[in-house]
Amino acid sequence: MNLSDVKKILLVDDDIDLLEQNKMLLEAKGFQVVTAESAEDGFKIFQKEKPDAAILDLIMEQMDSGFILAYKIKKTAHGKRIPVFILTSATYETGFKFSASTAEEKEWIKCDGILNKPVVVEELLSKLEAYEVAAKNN
Amino acid sequence: MSDEVKKDCILIVDDEKGLRIGTQRLLEDEGYEVETADCGEEGIRLGKSKEFDIAVIDLRMPDIDGLEVLKEIKNTFPNTICFIATAYASYETAIQSTRLGAFSYIPKPFTPEELIYQVELGIKQRKLILEALKLKQEREEQLLELASEKSRLNTIIKAISDGVLVINKNIELVYFNYAALRFLNIQDVKIGQSVVEKLPPEISEIIDKIIAKEKILLKTYTTQIEILPNNELIIEAACTPVPNPDGSLAGVVIILSNITQFKKIEQIKSQFVSMVAHELKTPLAAVQGFINIILNDSLGVDREKQKEYLSRSTVRLKSLTDLVNDLLDISRMELKTKQREIEDVDITEALKSTLQFLEFEIKKKEILIDTHIEENLPTIKADVSEITRLFTNLISNAIKYNKESGSIYIIAHQENNYVCIKIRDTGIGMKPEEKDRLFSEFYRAKNEKTRGISGTGLGLSIVKKIVESYYGKIEVESVFGYGTTFTIHLPINQN
Repeated sequence: MNLSDVKKILLVDDDIDLLEQNKMLLEAKGFQVVTAESAEDGFKIFQKEKPDAAILDLIMEQMDSGFILAYKIKKTAHGKRIPVFILTSATYETGFKFSASTAEEKEWIKCDGILNKPVVVEELLSKLEAYEVAAKNN
Repeated sequence: MSDEVKKDCILIVDDEKGLRIGTQRLLEDEGYEVETADCGEEGIRLGKSKEFDIAVIDLRMPDIDGLEVLKEIKNTFPNTICFIATAYASYETAIQSTRLGAFSYIPKPFTPEELIYQVELGIKQRKLILEALKLKQEREEQLLELASEKSRLNTIIKAISDGVLVINKNIELVYFNYAALRFLNIQDVKIGQSVVEKLPPEISEIIDKIIAKEKILLKTYTTQIEILPNNELIIEAACTPVPNPDGSLAGVVIILSNITQFKKIEQIKSQFVSMVAHELKTPLAAVQGFINIILNDSLGVDREKQKEYLSRSTVRLKSLTDLVNDLLDISRMELKTKQREIEDVDITEALKSTLQFLEFEIKKKEILIDTHIEENLPTIKADVSEITRLFTNLISNAIKYNKESGSIYIIAHQENNYVCIKIRDTGIGMKPEEKDRLFSEFYRAKNEKTRGISGTGLGLSIVKKIVESYYGKIEVESVFGYGTTFTIHLPINQN
């Protein structure tokens, strides 16, 4: 797998079961994983750890905690350089419709992709890879 | 001639006795009913006393002139057919008599055949006149009815809350009610004016389509139009073509209904379904995740850890079951399909049994329970399972959101026609903005202090539904960091 640039991943989720599962799966793939259980802590850890990628749960304290955290991260100089993904079980099947792919959504959703729960690590890795390829081509 | 049939009635006015009697006999033989007058004065009296079909009036009489009698009779009964009989028939008299309303004149002396012929003509004429009158009257009545029917219909259409708009094939206004103008925000229009520019494009499109069709299809075309933004006013327009008797298009009837409320309910419903789906998916994702990890040999999770993950999965599955049960309860309460068993419920007993039921949780967190229940508290008429559910949800919240070794105060007393129950905890409390959303479905206060507390987010919503179904009320006071108090008032049954 050609993910030379991503070594440290930040995971933010208020569901401790999912947090632990994703941490374990990513560690098994050789990543260093730092975690936070709230958007507030997530931003603190982001600033302290300067991760190479961030995966954020959407619904935490608020319905849109993940979007707000992504926005805050993307406003920092470091955040602009790394991929940020939103992880959620609120998707088409549940009637919440967003994909961060239309122009309008890209305007207010500051992230590089949406991942559905339960996330398959391979899917996450392929999204990270795609991001890297796109970043290098730019 | 049978007695049931009314005989035609004839008046003879003549001063000549012989002629009077002769004529009477002649006409009676012909089946007429005959009355006679021997002078003008008597003629007028009789002629005005009832409506004769025919009057035969002698022109020259000693007292009053025949023309005078004619005038008087015609004044009262314009439809009595009058003949002037005269031996001095002249052109002038004829003209004068017809001008005064005589049907004709009979020159004297006349033969029986002549008289009978004239009388028959007169009777025919009278029948025609009466028939015409009857038709005229009927027509007038119909017109009157039609006019009142039209105004009644008008009143009805003006009064209905749906908008009604009728246009002809030139898109000119034929009929409208005010609701239609209000819905479409049209001002200053008159019947006959073109409304092309004033109709929303969605309706114009349909009308164009209807007009363009060669053959009229008697079907209704509907469309939904957002008149005001943000779903403030949504109407449904139903356009139906109206055919002429020959099948060509006469115009289009447009019925406008306000479907804003319907749309809002639809939206709330789909939001609720979305929330439910999300709440169901999250624990499922967690369970799926644990299973995947256990099944993944390459991760090498040891037995001890596997057991932990399985028991954590069990906890998530339990919360899923609770959620499904809460959802079913809510749905039953909303549909009112639940058969209630209403009985006298002793609040003291219900509180005691709830506390017993929650004993394990209370002991685990070392919570102190302090109850102040008024003696001889009146019973309330309710389903005991619902009242217990109400207390269970509130007290288990008071435990869950309490601090370790905290307290719960339960106070119950009578307050006028209500039993008042207060449940106060010494827990984490709520921020004002959290308090506002407390009773909404799936809302759970999420902050650093509530992390790790499980729940379906439906408990308080169920509480509120139960309280309201008994016409009670629920209030909440809370200080963030210090605790929350729920106050319930349930009406005491007056029977």
